[in-house]
Amino acid sequence: MDAITLSQTILLSITIAALYAAIASGLTLEFGVTKIINFAHGEFVMFGAFITYFLQSNYAINPIIGALVSGLVMMALSWIVFEAFLARVLRQDEHNQILATIGLSILMINLAMIFWGPDARVMHAPDILPALRIGIVTIPGNNLVVLIIGALLFVGITWFLRGTRYGLLLRLASDDPVMAKFAGVNVHGMFRLSFLIGGLTAGISGGLVALVLYIHPLVGTDAVMRAFAIVALGGLGSIGGAVVGAAILSIAENMTSTFVPGGGSWGYGIAFLIIVVVLVLRPSGLFGKELRA
Amino acid sequence: MRTLPAKILLYVVVCAAIAGIAFSDRPFWIQLAIGITITAILALAWDILSRTGQVSLGMAAFFGLGAYTTAILDPITNTYLAWLGVIVVCGLFAAVLGLVTLRLRQMYFAIATLGFTLSLQVVVLVFPDFTGGAGGVAPPLLAGGDPAMQLLAIGGLLIVAMLVSDVLLRRRFRPAFFMIRTKPELAASCGVPVVRTRILAFIISGVFAGLAGACYGGLYGYVTPSDVYTVNWSIMPLAVAVLGGMDTTFGPILGAIILRLLEEVARELIGGVGYQVVYGAVIILFVVALPRGVTGALKALFGLSVRTPLGTRPAATGS
Repeated sequence: MDAITLSQTILLSITIAALYAAIASGLTLEFGVTKIINFAHGEFVMFGAFITYFLQSNYAINPIIGALVSGLVMMALSWIVFEAFLARVLRQDEHNQILATIGLSILMINLAMIFWGPDARVMHAPDILPALRIGIVTIPGNNLVVLIIGALLFVGITWFLRGTRYGLLLRLASDDPVMAKFAGVNVHGMFRLSFLIGGLTAGISGGLVALVLYIHPLVGTDAVMRAFAIVALGGLGSIGGAVVGAAILSIAENMTSTFVPGGGSWGYGIAFLIIVVVLVLRPSGLFGKELRA
Repeated sequence: MRTLPAKILLYVVVCAAIAGIAFSDRPFWIQLAIGITITAILALAWDILSRTGQVSLGMAAFFGLGAYTTAILDPITNTYLAWLGVIVVCGLFAAVLGLVTLRLRQMYFAIATLGFTLSLQVVVLVFPDFTGGAGGVAPPLLAGGDPAMQLLAIGGLLIVAMLVSDVLLRRRFRPAFFMIRTKPELAASCGVPVVRTRILAFIISGVFAGLAGACYGGLYGYVTPSDVYTVNWSIMPLAVAVLGGMDTTFGPILGAIILRLLEEVARELIGGVGYQVVYGAVIILFVVALPRGVTGALKALFGLSVRTPLGTRPAATGS
């Protein structure tokens, strides 16, 4: 391996890591507040990618605006989904919660298959930013956009949770729902809020997916599987952990596919070896809070 | 399903249905019944594990392990040893995975088992000389490739799984499982061997899932990693058992029949691409409308009390 390929690989990995971190932070926010793992989170990302793609290819709308539109649409969809059935499974057993979001995931994947077909598409958008040359390596413009927006999303969520009144209420509702209710917090509303933000970030991440990856009905599943790995690495509910997890995962995966012969097809699986190993050594992830049994 | 006659009736009905379809000379029904039977075995295996309170998303790991074990052992030894190998290998893997994930709870356990499945798929791809890589392997044909005989063989396995499940629902095990599921610390302080019971459930579950996988591989004598190590085989047992009714022998079988029939109807109506849309919709509807599964809902409908191992309580309290 030579220095150019190595540094190029690491740089590209970091831009993709920003995308994974954006997806994972929405997932971990929803889990942190409601204690439901949203297996359909990736499908919101996938819908967001298709919306951005169609806005761009049919109406030549700038993908950044497309991503914002996707975010808003997915936020609205999250509202509907939450009020229609997710709120009802909140109090049910854990297997029912898993099943409910898996059901939603299957439903959305197959709707996409019916409407848009199973084939992969590529969005041919004009470059938003010029490619960035740092010495011997270049970062393509689209990857740069992904890096910037991913980082912005991450900072935005952290600021919202740590720096605003709503963030405080959200954390209270998640730490102790009963106490929060006594303190006059609308716990149901807070749970809904976490899903709305989750939907928003999923839609925007979907726009980023459209910029740098192929778009097809299973793209969300692929992405969310990695997001699980990242969340498990960083600890469920820990947003800072999501960033560290994303960096580790993305670099490990891209190194495998670049430097191991024939490694392209199983770089993905490295993610899961990491999950299993980390969970065995540290059952609550690297930065996770201890989960009560 | 609480009296002995009702239990015997269930076994008689299952045997009669399998035998009736196997000798009916209708290929479509035979294939459908094979699908339902394999699904039911997997769902029973999942349910047995879930009785200790662990929600597994790793059934596909053992399903694939079973198919691959027969395929790799069959050329080296003989068919009987290969099948014996499935029991040993899957039992060992289950014991190790069970020990390793013992400390994991709830969602962490679900994600770790999901990760285990996908890791196994990677192992297959990384050692192509040993496992055939992405091209797949050739497990021994089950019952010489005759569908009717295959159905009888798999049906036999289902009966064994039902018997084991019923034994575990009897007085000796059920209260222990119930306590481990609801209050592990209390169970331990009452002298229930928590670790041993959890591992036992894990091994039984893994072995049955492996045997189901070996049967599946034997249907056509050919499997690829993407056939068996897919998330589908992990989700299906969960959906089937929860929708049918957990903590029963009858529930997973009923769930398998309902979901597989539904799948066929959907395939007929919508076509090959996207027919599973119905599947997703039904899962959501069931979880919202019948959170205790069909069995629980039927019991509530007929006013039967839902029996817990530590006494009775009225049905449909919707906990």
